Amino acid sequence: MIAGANTKTETGSSGLQPHAGKIAAGARPRVSMRGIVKTFGSVEALRGVDLDLYPGECLGLVGDNAAGKSTLTKILSGTYIPDGGTLEIDGEDVRLTGPSDARARHIEMVFQDLSLCDTIDVAGNLFLGREIIKNGFLDKRAMAEKAKEMLAALDIRIPNLSAKVAQLSGGQRQAIAIARAASFQPQVLIMDEPTSALAVAEVEAVLALIERVKVTGVSVVLITHRLQDLFRVCDRIAVMYEGTKVAERQVQETNLEDLVRLIVGDESVR
Amino acid sequence: MTLYTERGQGSAIEDFLAEHAQVLSIAGFFLVCILFFATMTDTFLTGGNILNLLRQAAPILIVASAMTFVITTAGIDLSVGSQVALVNALAAIAIAAGIPWPLVILMMLAAGAMIGLAQGWFIAHQEIPAFIVTLAGLSIFRGIALLLTKGYSIPIRDADGFTFLGRGAVAGIPIPAILSVLVAIIAYVVLDRMRYGRQVVAVGANREAARRVGMPARWVTASVYGLTGLASAFAGLLIAARLGSGSSNAAVGFELDVIAAVVLGGTSLMGGRGTIIGTVLGTLTIAAIGNGLILMHVSPFFTQIVTGAIILAAIWLNTRIFASGLRLGRKKS
Repeated sequence: MIAGANTKTETGSSGLQPHAGKIAAGARPRVSMRGIVKTFGSVEALRGVDLDLYPGECLGLVGDNAAGKSTLTKILSGTYIPDGGTLEIDGEDVRLTGPSDARARHIEMVFQDLSLCDTIDVAGNLFLGREIIKNGFLDKRAMAEKAKEMLAALDIRIPNLSAKVAQLSGGQRQAIAIARAASFQPQVLIMDEPTSALAVAEVEAVLALIERVKVTGVSVVLITHRLQDLFRVCDRIAVMYEGTKVAERQVQETNLEDLVRLIVGDESVR
Repeated sequence: MTLYTERGQGSAIEDFLAEHAQVLSIAGFFLVCILFFATMTDTFLTGGNILNLLRQAAPILIVASAMTFVITTAGIDLSVGSQVALVNALAAIAIAAGIPWPLVILMMLAAGAMIGLAQGWFIAHQEIPAFIVTLAGLSIFRGIALLLTKGYSIPIRDADGFTFLGRGAVAGIPIPAILSVLVAIIAYVVLDRMRYGRQVVAVGANREAARRVGMPARWVTASVYGLTGLASAFAGLLIAARLGSGSSNAAVGFELDVIAAVVLGGTSLMGGRGTIIGTVLGTLTIAAIGNGLILMHVSPFFTQIVTGAIILAAIWLNTRIFASGLRLGRKKS
């Protein structure tokens, strides 16, 4: 499979949401966060963050460690309850009560290496927590067949579905985690460092996978320290610094050097 | 241009060998033991001895089947021997007090499950290491049994139906053996084919992942100790029925046989991988070694040393073979 070429044709022919650079100014954001505040004891983790997410776009979220990226995504995925600010989903004001509430509203999060069981096979991992049961027993055949469909839909190639996840490469593992999240029909998919532990070819595969998820109309939030990845798949990049959003750039309006300066907090470029 | 990397796929036979290395190696070791004792003694392979061996192995197999679930969640239950002794003594006391034996059986099974769940609550909900909780249990339950019986053995009289469970046979096969095989089959089906078994494996492999996908991780962790409690009560009843008495000194060192059987069978102490077939083979191996050495007239003191050494060697080989099998699988990339 030729990932790069493939995705371009898909994006072009799908007729779905094009790159966010072309989003009309009046388009309604799928998610709209305003003035989000979160403190942990005396630490102000977030100091009033505004962020919008549009359908079918990939938003890169960057910033130094402890800039507030993870806290912000955990608020969006329902893990943390914000101390202040508003969250609108499809124009409706909501207060998430927990991760299951977020999931019910089609917000999914892929955690780095926290979501797979090594000693269970590929199909079992894809259906973890929602096993198909027939007459009280696991329907392993049905799960294997559906798993094949799930992976095929995202063009993920894993030769042996009965292989234990421990035997797979880092890229394949990450692909399974993403495929599982994608199978919940998310509208927002948050990925925390999906490529940080991967080899070069595997990174390419995961980036191509993000493109494929994106063209189905899902809003993707990508947290990463690998800035070069952002320019491959993101439409917009938001930079966090010390609990605030210091900049937001369309990908075509920025470059690596600019981003690095924004991240480390160089006043001259702001 | 980028290509999606794919792992090379070895032959299906190689995959099968790597996947089942542990069970295959314990099966091989079991056969070696059988052959060894069969050639060294005249009586080992006689029908009578085999039936005797199965009858003796029954309590270990019953508790080891439940212990497989506990160890698959990366836990351990050291208190099973003491629980067996406690139920053993309680059952004799209850029958001596005139309670009908079928009722006693139900009461004891319920009590065993409750004791196990209580330990499970400390482990799962209070997050005290299983080793500590069940070590305390090991001391407490044997202590209660000693206190209740004052150290004496309590005879079970006028309960022929009850003692038949321990001594009787159906079509020549001892009832405890039949019951223990039933327990092992149920354990196999539950662990391998049912949602609960999948949850046990998932909690052992990656507790956080299991919790995140909505599995009741705490309940699963607590419940496996309920299973060992239930199984220990069952084993305690069978031992009482076989011996026709209840004693606080029953099943001393029983937990070690049980844990050795499970680990020898290839269930990982790190959690996430459990095999009931391996546990059955492990139990039979332990029972065969104990039985065979006695038939060879080896000093009973020496038997303990040999058993321990064989278990250590077998598990050592087992881990080595398994580890190299995994490495082979990885190298194929």
